Amino acid sequence: MRIALYVTCLVDLMRPAVGFAALRLLESTGNDVVVPPAQTCCGQPAWSAGNRPLAETLARKAIAELENYDAVVVPSGSCAEQIRLSYPKLFADDAVWGPRARALATRTQELSEFLAGQGEPLEPPGEFAGSVTYHDSCKGLRGLGIKAQPRALLGRVRGLNLKEMADCEECCGFGGAFAENYADVSARIVDRKCESIAAAGADAVVGGDLGCLLNIEGRLRRRGDETTRVLHFAEVLAGETKP
Amino acid sequence: MNGNARHSQAMHFTARAADKVRNPVLQQALQKAKPLFSGKRAKAMAALPDDGLEFEALREACAGIRDRALNDLDVWLEIFEENARARGAEVLWARDGSEICDLVIDVARRHGVKKVTKSKSMLSEEAQLNDALAAAGIEPVETDLGEYIIQLAGEAPSHIIAPAVHKTLQEVEALFAEKHGRPLEARTSADIPALTREARGVLRQHFLSADMGISGANFLIAETGTAALVTNEGNGRMVTTLPRVHVVITGIEKVVPTLQDFATLMRLLPRSATGQTISNYVSLLTGTRADDESEGPTKTVFILVDNGRADVVGSHYQDILRCIRCGACMNHCPVYFSLGGHAYGWVYPGPMGSVLTPLYTGIENALDLPHASTGCRQCSSVCPVRIPLPELMHGLRQEQQRRGLRPWGERLGLRAWAWVAGRPTLYRALTRIAARYLNWLADGEGRIRIFGFAPGWTTARDLPVVGAGKTFFEQYAASKRD
Repeated sequence: MRIALYVTCLVDLMRPAVGFAALRLLESTGNDVVVPPAQTCCGQPAWSAGNRPLAETLARKAIAELENYDAVVVPSGSCAEQIRLSYPKLFADDAVWGPRARALATRTQELSEFLAGQGEPLEPPGEFAGSVTYHDSCKGLRGLGIKAQPRALLGRVRGLNLKEMADCEECCGFGGAFAENYADVSARIVDRKCESIAAAGADAVVGGDLGCLLNIEGRLRRRGDETTRVLHFAEVLAGETKP
Repeated sequence: MNGNARHSQAMHFTARAADKVRNPVLQQALQKAKPLFSGKRAKAMAALPDDGLEFEALREACAGIRDRALNDLDVWLEIFEENARARGAEVLWARDGSEICDLVIDVARRHGVKKVTKSKSMLSEEAQLNDALAAAGIEPVETDLGEYIIQLAGEAPSHIIAPAVHKTLQEVEALFAEKHGRPLEARTSADIPALTREARGVLRQHFLSADMGISGANFLIAETGTAALVTNEGNGRMVTTLPRVHVVITGIEKVVPTLQDFATLMRLLPRSATGQTISNYVSLLTGTRADDESEGPTKTVFILVDNGRADVVGSHYQDILRCIRCGACMNHCPVYFSLGGHAYGWVYPGPMGSVLTPLYTGIENALDLPHASTGCRQCSSVCPVRIPLPELMHGLRQEQQRRGLRPWGERLGLRAWAWVAGRPTLYRALTRIAARYLNWLADGEGRIRIFGFAPGWTTARDLPVVGAGKTFFEQYAASKRD
């Protein structure tokens, strides 16, 4: 099977290690993994702002460069949701792009969905000596129904102890442009998340969306928490957790 | 100008939000209420299978009932009107808030009314009815405990079913002491029953001396011409049965075809709102007191209100009219619980308010509200009538873009960014520079503390930078060369 890794613009710029961890995990499934070279951004910021023409332009670009693979895997519930749920909506009435968007949507998966869906259970190369608590990102959880998969995968990491936090399904307050435009409100929301994380008393908070993770890490540090690690599950599974 | 917009502060959302988020007393009240609301609902929903019920199937049925009513709204309203009249009620129609006020004052004058008791009605908030009544020399008394508190405080409701949720116990104690003319006492939550008794004592006199009662209606049942009232405090019964005249003010979208439909909706309404399997009181009010009956009003008037609703019927936003006002969307909204309801600036707060306020007061008068969301979908996942609230807010965002209502800086920024993202070679070059720039800005611990490109972000957070100044694609290309 030929798999395209859709790195996402945020991972590309802010945390390349997540991309490399995803690449390694995908390669370990024995498939042929390609990083399509012209990929940039799925266009979600434009769509979220309500700008349909710009969102359509970037969606066409992504569809054209991703549609010739057997599967497209994305280390982000948010970007995967954009391709899987929003692209078909964008082109619902388009005779040419509609079928192409729907075909791509059926082949696109978020990373934990893909890894957990393999016939052979994944043997994660990573080890993690400590406890982690999992933050369910909104788009992955309520958009794509991702809940059990990352937990099942993390459960197979040697040494790792999963401690659920209260309100793990509650939003972290990121929301893309929301965090910038309504910074105070966003900060209030992420404060509640930080309190839940602290109460869980885990060594690390782990999630599947870099936007949420940057928000949570940024706020934890500003609040003076210098010790709780903030990691993408791909980093934990691949053993890329050196500080 | 839209009549509703005159009373709306929704255009000042951002400033009001900044103010609310910094109010420690408000934050204390909200923090206390949040787990109560979501916890009670979660418990009720978890117990549904014990009654042989299933949430998804039930809400499918409830949404279907509401759609059936809305798709032939005019027909069901005519059937309701005919049946209500046949039972001796008068049915009046109001186009907007000022017509509500005119009609109510007219009814009051015709019947020599000096004092009105009211049970909760959000429609009377849309109309600012209390101000109009007072101006006409008629005394309005709110009798729902929460409404009574905020009437004493001279405030507006901050939640559609818990109007005083923004107030702490200490604030209520101070208010009662001042307004009831008694010394201030030290109070704990154990004293809540005493405070409630105090309000009850005051309200009892009003119930017995009022000439007219005003209520809303949770539903209008077309086949019987009935107003259904779902309450917990018992004040609704006093308001609708003790005075000579009863006026029901409700929106035209509240009609449902049959009693059976009402029964189905009642499976989810109290559970979604307060986590109760059924509310303490469910009143079905039909017509006036019959000759052989000893109780009930001798005059019943329905005022059925448009105030923006008719324009929503048949539009892209029609699904919002399914709303049964349970409050679950705001009870599960991270934004609502960071601000309280007053920040939203008009009658309806939270996710349903972020859709209704632009629709009823004008999209251009509530530009922030559809954006006041993280897109977390907690609201739509709990909505008992499956309203796609995030999609409706997104529809309003699209309409703002189409009509050129977004700030030019945002539009230009988006266009420039999308232009670059459409050109991979340029995009790679610019992200390489950006990665280096971020790395240069970061301190020894890999953090940016003040970031000029996104100043909001770093007001409350650091920006963690861990890429060592190189993008994924740059590092990937280098690894392929090796």
